Amino acid sequence: MGDVYSAVADPTRRQLLRLLADADELPLHEMTARFPVGRTAVSKHLAVLKEAGLVSDRKAGRETRYHLNAAPLREIQEWVSFYERFWTERIDRLKDLLEEENG
Amino acid sequence: MSETVVLDVEVKSPIERVWHALTDSATLSKWMLFKSNDFRPVVGHTFQFREAPGWTGVVECEVIEVDQPHRLTYTWVSGGESNLRQSTVVTWTLTEADGGATRLHLEQSGFRPEAKQEIGGASYGWKSMLDQLQSLLASA
Repeated sequence: MGDVYSAVADPTRRQLLRLLADADELPLHEMTARFPVGRTAVSKHLAVLKEAGLVSDRKAGRETRYHLNAAPLREIQEWVSFYERFWTERIDRLKDLLEEENG
Repeated sequence: MSETVVLDVEVKSPIERVWHALTDSATLSKWMLFKSNDFRPVVGHTFQFREAPGWTGVVECEVIEVDQPHRLTYTWVSGGESNLRQSTVVTWTLTEADGGATRLHLEQSGFRPEAKQEIGGASYGWKSMLDQLQSLLASA
């Protein structure tokens, strides 16, 4: 299983996730049409997302259709939550410090 | 209703060693995020986890159950008296597995369901601590 953090590190891949989040399922050619990069590049990006478990695909006739599997994103959400807790406190401390200096 | 964080890992170490890592104060400091604690495996003992990097928070705990080497339970209260206060219970269950390994089951229960950030944070926090525990036991 590929790393979910590196999977979302690329802007094209984030945009692909965005497209798939809005649609139930999309064929490759429909996604390719929305990007300046070629079909091969989009296909490679989809392969990385698939490796990270973020998209799954199925053959429908002659085309491959993709859909989003958002579950692995939970890992990122948990990571953010964890650090948010620290930051919340740091920001509060900074505020206190600034208020002390003003007072 | 309250929410529970659940994690399961298998550690390639005998159950007594895993139990020691969970109950020895100095060893706890090596893999827990918190650099200091005054834990003792005695029912009724109150203790704290403190000094997590970047965080001044203190976790207030009390030992509820010690059943060596199978089960350890303590309360886990974070957030002090603020509105972020979370009063939870941490339970470790250890089971012997094949080949001298140990199955470790962790539950932290009692989160308020709306405390999404705390639940996500606890989940990530324990995962990273259990990673450290596993590498600690693998290295020693």
